[in-house]
Amino acid sequence: MHFRKLNSISTTWAFLLAAMIAYLPANLYPVMTVVSFGKGQSDTIMSGVIYLFLHGDWPLALIVFVASVLVPLLKMFALGYLLISVQRRSHLRKQQRTRLYRIVELVGRWSMVDIFVVALLAALVNVGAIATIEPGVGAIAFTTVVILTIFAAASFDPRLIWDR
Amino acid sequence: MSQRHPPVSSYAELIACHECDTLSQIPALAPGRAARCRCCGCVLLRNPKGGLDRSIALYSAAFILLLLANAFPFLTLEIQGRSEVTNIFGASRALYHAGMGELAVVVFLTTILAPALLITSSLYVLLAVRLRRPLPALRTVLSWISQLQPWVMLDVFMLGVLVAFVKLGNMATMHVGISLFAFFGLILVTAAATAAFEPQLLWQQIGYRRGKTDAG
Repeated sequence: MHFRKLNSISTTWAFLLAAMIAYLPANLYPVMTVVSFGKGQSDTIMSGVIYLFLHGDWPLALIVFVASVLVPLLKMFALGYLLISVQRRSHLRKQQRTRLYRIVELVGRWSMVDIFVVALLAALVNVGAIATIEPGVGAIAFTTVVILTIFAAASFDPRLIWDR
Repeated sequence: MSQRHPPVSSYAELIACHECDTLSQIPALAPGRAARCRCCGCVLLRNPKGGLDRSIALYSAAFILLLLANAFPFLTLEIQGRSEVTNIFGASRALYHAGMGELAVVVFLTTILAPALLITSSLYVLLAVRLRRPLPALRTVLSWISQLQPWVMLDVFMLGVLVAFVKLGNMATMHVGISLFAFFGLILVTAAATAAFEPQLLWQQIGYRRGKTDAG
């Protein structure tokens, strides 16, 4: 038995809104730049997905798309929905909303996939002038989004769903 | 009910559901059984099969795999005759060198520090309870274990390795090291170990407040 999470609603909103704000630069700024013979080519998360797709790696494109684009979006929407439903004291679908919360908690970390890919590529592709990979600013913003949504989910108290 | 594994919660205990606050009275649980909240279905208490010994065995295996995974390089890239090697730490290091220190810290936390802390802390508490030794800071360590779990992202890292592997495989030759298999094993063993670990049982043994000891 533990205490109710303090100020659950306001803290969760704070994290959620911060995550939404960070979501814009996360997708607009490049997460990775491939520098080859002095020429740089930058990729945002979305353009990376498209690149994979066009090169025939569509299973991977799908994985990265789901993990890095869909999951954070859906997670933010889900948390927003949960917050609003709790603030409106809705009595409907309590079990489904609890299940939704559980899914949100479990699934959020998978968005970190892209960051790990960029870090690994930057670590490995260090072949001087031929090819070097540098992580981009978008990576910082994206990691911030993931971490903020993890905190947001952690600060939401699911017991609020069941309050009368 | 087998007498070799004493039933969990042999005194009638009221537990408040973590997710919906419904109070339930838990009967004694046989090994392998779990009690679910009748209101929302959330698991209240489990009695994992094999009890403490299985947990200890799994976490010890995880510890060994952790050492192996971290000690050796796990991926080698060969392009135009040059080769580049990296171990797990390489990902954080690359981010650090690119001027993204904070990101390097996060990656370090989620791939190296959190798993290491989780495994060593779990072993610490498990051994203390199993050997009936009141080691220092047990309660603090046990409460930190559940906080750590969302930050252990080894499985996500593994997927990242897979994606990077495929991406680079098109333009270069990739070699896989011992460490990668140790890594893979670590993920599986840690998952099994977490499934065999029920913090509530350990709390019952340690006692919630200082000075209150269970006859256990």
